[in-house]
Amino acid sequence: MDIEQRQSELIDQFVKQASAASNTSAISSVIVDATSHPLLFAFSEILALPNVLQLEATDEKFYLDLLRLFAHGIWSDYKSNADRLPQLVPDQILKLKQLTVLTLAETYKVLPYDQLMQELDVTNVRELEDFLINECMYAGIVRGKLDQLRRCFEVQFAAGRDLRPGQLGNMIQTLSDWLSTSENMLVSIQDKIKWADSMSEVDKKHRKEVEEKVDEVKKSIFKVGWIYFYCFTSLEFFILKYIDDIMFR
Amino acid sequence: MASSSSSGLTFKLHPLVIVNISDHYTRVKSQMNPTLAPHNNATNNGGDGVVSSLPPPRVFGCVIGVQKGRTVEIFNSFELLYDPSTHSLDRPFLEKKQELYKKVFPHFYILGWYSTGSDAEESDMHIHKALMDINESPVYVLLNPAINHSQKDLPVSIFESELHVIDGIPQLIFVRSSYTIETVEAERISVDHVAHLKPSDGGSAATQLAANLTGIHSAIKMLHSRIKVLHHYLLAMEKGDVPCENSLLRQVSSLLRRLPAIESGKFQDDFLMEYNDTLLISYLAMLTNCSSAMNDLVDKFSTAYDRHTRRGGRTAFSECCLVLVSRCLVLDSFDALFQLCRHRFLSSSLCCLGIGY
Repeated sequence: MDIEQRQSELIDQFVKQASAASNTSAISSVIVDATSHPLLFAFSEILALPNVLQLEATDEKFYLDLLRLFAHGIWSDYKSNADRLPQLVPDQILKLKQLTVLTLAETYKVLPYDQLMQELDVTNVRELEDFLINECMYAGIVRGKLDQLRRCFEVQFAAGRDLRPGQLGNMIQTLSDWLSTSENMLVSIQDKIKWADSMSEVDKKHRKEVEEKVDEVKKSIFKVGWIYFYCFTSLEFFILKYIDDIMFR
Repeated sequence: MASSSSSGLTFKLHPLVIVNISDHYTRVKSQMNPTLAPHNNATNNGGDGVVSSLPPPRVFGCVIGVQKGRTVEIFNSFELLYDPSTHSLDRPFLEKKQELYKKVFPHFYILGWYSTGSDAEESDMHIHKALMDINESPVYVLLNPAINHSQKDLPVSIFESELHVIDGIPQLIFVRSSYTIETVEAERISVDHVAHLKPSDGGSAATQLAANLTGIHSAIKMLHSRIKVLHHYLLAMEKGDVPCENSLLRQVSSLLRRLPAIESGKFQDDFLMEYNDTLLISYLAMLTNCSSAMNDLVDKFSTAYDRHTRRGGRTAFSECCLVLVSRCLVLDSFDALFQLCRHRFLSSSLCCLGIGY
């Protein structure tokens, strides 16, 4: 996927910066840079670095929380915890809203405008559509159709966010379900193919039988029937002639 | 004699070359045994009949194409005569052909030569060296005409020559190289056409249905095998055998989010409507068939009994009349139904008719 390719260089760059950073304030500034960068949507590599995790113990802990929020959380999480997290610059706010759209696209394929407006703190539809088109679709993180009549956004493709620890199990479960469904489909297609072949066989046999019967009847009628027919027609002829004579005397 | 190449050249082979070589081989082989019925054997297996005690013929030719930097793309080929006495290819013919091809394809150069057989041989090196004055490092394309049903990939191998020191003597030996198949749109269409050979008379509906279903079946099978690979990979990642690669996991999660692919209410509506339409149309066709068969029967009936029951057989005659009249009515109603078909009031009317019939 091209998003991943675009991001991989940025991720490497930020990982190098973060590992090179010596003290907590340097790490915090790297975190702020990473979360405001317009093209970066993946933070789990940075989150996995040991000296970033060391922030847990220091008093700059909220930067680590901020990074975790950007990796897994959405805009409403930020609003509820706004007092414990540092102030966000507009770039970060935008990015968090984009990530919110990605998370919503995870669970539903059709997102109603009302829900989106509520989650993203947007008041009118025009702003929402502008946001979706400019920030999400042109950035390439989602692809879909906007349905104005039904006021919903149908998502066809959404980029992946960082995985929460429990998600891997779900993904494996989904994959195994998909596998079993396709196996069942294969079996049923095989059955259908066999059914089609056997029905055509039956049809051919039936056709042959009917034709044989017709031939038989033709032959037997030809022999017996035409004597019968001959007598009958001659008899008819004489009777009719007699009736004619009587009627038109 | 064949190890893996290290020259760093990438080879791209077009299907036209493979088809040409195989065609050349088949022609020569069938001309060799004119008594043998020409079936499509590019094979030399012994179960072929009495005549195949002869060794399979070797055919030779030249391959032409374009070389851009490190990429060698082989587009076309033509046949050459091999002179067994001098163990070399027919040189003047080659030059004449080269001139002719240059006029039509000015960009194509002679890139090498081809032959058939199971493996490269010592004598091939002579031919290879002979071609070295046209192209300083020619390629040798080898097609193995033996049909091996268990073999999954193409029996075509590409060899290059490299200078290796063996027993203190620098010698040219053949080394195998890998190649990819590259197709032009026309080639893709023709290969697709050959792969999906349908019964030539159009077949009955059942064979067409079976062919269609078989295509879907193989497509789903391929999808299934690929998903299985992903599944194993994720399982291994969960167990810890493979290190967690986050970007891959992100991509997989975005893929899984596209499922279920067709589940919305709108799809169900459209799908059911089309399904119902198809069923109704086939029902209508069946009813039409029945009514036309009845029509024929009534015709025969009236022809057979008209002559004899002119005066007396009033009951039979009136019965005929009734049947005729009802037949006309039914046909008229079918006419009306065909008009209605286009306006989608179909379901209610056909149901009524079906019940009444």
